[in-house]
Amino acid sequence: MPQQFGNRKVRRSGLTMPVVTPRFVDNAWRRGCDFINLDLEDSVPQNLKGYARGLIKDAIPNVTKGGAEAFTRINHDLVEADLEAIIWPGLSKVNYPKAEYGWEIEKLDRIITRLERERGIRPGTVEIGANIETAIGVANAYQIASASPRVREFGGATGYDMSRDLGVEMFVGFDQFVYGKGETELAARALNQEVHTAPFTANTTGSVSDPDRAYQEAEAARKCGFRVGGGLHPNVIDPQNRGFTPTEEEATDAQNLLEQYRELVDSGDSWSNVSGLVIDQHEAARAQDLLDWRRLCQERDREKAEAVARVGEEPV
Amino acid sequence: MIHRGPLQKIRRSWLLVPAFNVELVRTAHLSGADVIVLDLAELVPEADKPLARETIEDSIQIVTAGGAEVFVQVDPELIYADLRASVWPDLAGIVISKIESPQQMEEAHQLLEQLEEERGLLPKSLEIVAALETAQGNHQGYEIAVASPRVWGMTLGRADLVMDLRSEPSGEIHLMQYLMQRLITLSNAAGVVPLGAWWRDPDRGLLAKPENTYTAGFRGRAIGFKGSMCINAEQVGPLNQSFTPTDFEVSAAGSLLEAYREGVSQGMAVVKWGERLIDRGTAAQAQSLIDLGVNCTLRDESKEAAFEGKPVPAP
Repeated sequence: MPQQFGNRKVRRSGLTMPVVTPRFVDNAWRRGCDFINLDLEDSVPQNLKGYARGLIKDAIPNVTKGGAEAFTRINHDLVEADLEAIIWPGLSKVNYPKAEYGWEIEKLDRIITRLERERGIRPGTVEIGANIETAIGVANAYQIASASPRVREFGGATGYDMSRDLGVEMFVGFDQFVYGKGETELAARALNQEVHTAPFTANTTGSVSDPDRAYQEAEAARKCGFRVGGGLHPNVIDPQNRGFTPTEEEATDAQNLLEQYRELVDSGDSWSNVSGLVIDQHEAARAQDLLDWRRLCQERDREKAEAVARVGEEPV
Repeated sequence: MIHRGPLQKIRRSWLLVPAFNVELVRTAHLSGADVIVLDLAELVPEADKPLARETIEDSIQIVTAGGAEVFVQVDPELIYADLRASVWPDLAGIVISKIESPQQMEEAHQLLEQLEEERGLLPKSLEIVAALETAQGNHQGYEIAVASPRVWGMTLGRADLVMDLRSEPSGEIHLMQYLMQRLITLSNAAGVVPLGAWWRDPDRGLLAKPENTYTAGFRGRAIGFKGSMCINAEQVGPLNQSFTPTDFEVSAAGSLLEAYREGVSQGMAVVKWGERLIDRGTAAQAQSLIDLGVNCTLRDESKEAAFEGKPVPAP
């Protein structure tokens, strides 16, 4: 199903970082990412959980001043305390790890709805990212994705936690998550949500900082129609921004295809096949999609550049 | 499983023909397709649909000249007009494109009941193939399959285009391996026949070169599909061939069965055959393959006879 473009966010690149590490948080705005994911979960030591959640309120304006969106990843078992501490103006999304049941998301929704009202945030602003990282989460994927209109992006069922839960190898030369990725993606598509997934590319090293690899993965994902990136190391931000943005050459090709399609429609035909190159409503829709997405990426880049200029300090 | 065994219908190749295209309708029977699908849905521009509907009654007669069965592909949003235009003697069934819910299936079922009665067709004779081409349709695939006893088969149709599924770096079409496995499993659970082929880049929307069509059909049969739709007449031969057991497979199945029977006659339950062990299930599968081969041959003969003007009932 075609996505609703008006609401489509540009989230090509992002950094997940422990909110307790000041040098990461203080430099985050300079990195050029589309979003920053402030982590309270696995990158924060148990004894710092209470301290960490108290840092979020000030970290939000700090990490967004270069134009990035701010997300927070909360703890699966500390929902109430974490949400009380983090729902403040400027927060775009709460990432909820190891989502397993629809009622968990309903509970998050209720608490967030109350906090938005109490704190003067426009109702419905804060999204919920329901991270599928366990077998139970896969089994209940559709219930989870449909539990709240705050879930606008859905997919996944890969990664370290999924690997551990299923007891599968993380870095192999074949796709070990075909079923779980399929279940979550089908749920997202049936609910007309943005699909958060990527085509399989073999990765046997596990490097989090290889820029070439990040670019190739982003480009493959974009060519497959996907839009959402994110990572753990500053090296991958620029490759992801570039890899997820259509090139000028592709834009020109798309414009030409649309032109040919319009001529086709005017002539009363609905498709043509010139030496294997098909032109029809589907190709036209893909071309239009590419042009719309490129424009959104360019707007996003402009927004970020203007935000950085307002701060008046040099970005890295 | 009601559709297996010696009375199975052989429907290996389903040629989609835009119902408004007089030339393609006129020549479709030359393709040798087991089934010709007169399309009133996606391949017909909106403005041409009224005229296309008027031609269906005659087109059914034209395309059966080569012994093919005829289905009409209809749009669930235009189901009333499409079915009124399509239910005539010699129609075997309908394909519902982009079906999304069991309610749509029930609606089609009811309409077919009425039209069979009104037009003097054998009650409950018209069959339905559900084309799950959207996410919603796939999500509700099982509910759709069991919503009417008329459902004979299910297919992903042109889901790659409708759902905008593009090629992955591996050459696989994104999400398709999952959707194919899901469709095949749900179809068998519901007792209906899974139709499709394992297309890969650059195959697109059921359109592929003849050699790629053969490979897609061969892989498709290996994962449980029984036949596939296609768009071009030149794809029909490769589909008929790839969904028919090869002589080698049939003769191997014959030797396997012989060895198994020999062993059973000596009181064994499991029989050693070369490096393999053969039990009752393996023997039954070999028998199915032999039956399928026989039925494919009968089907081919019936089409040849029809082509020469000697109608022979299809198996």
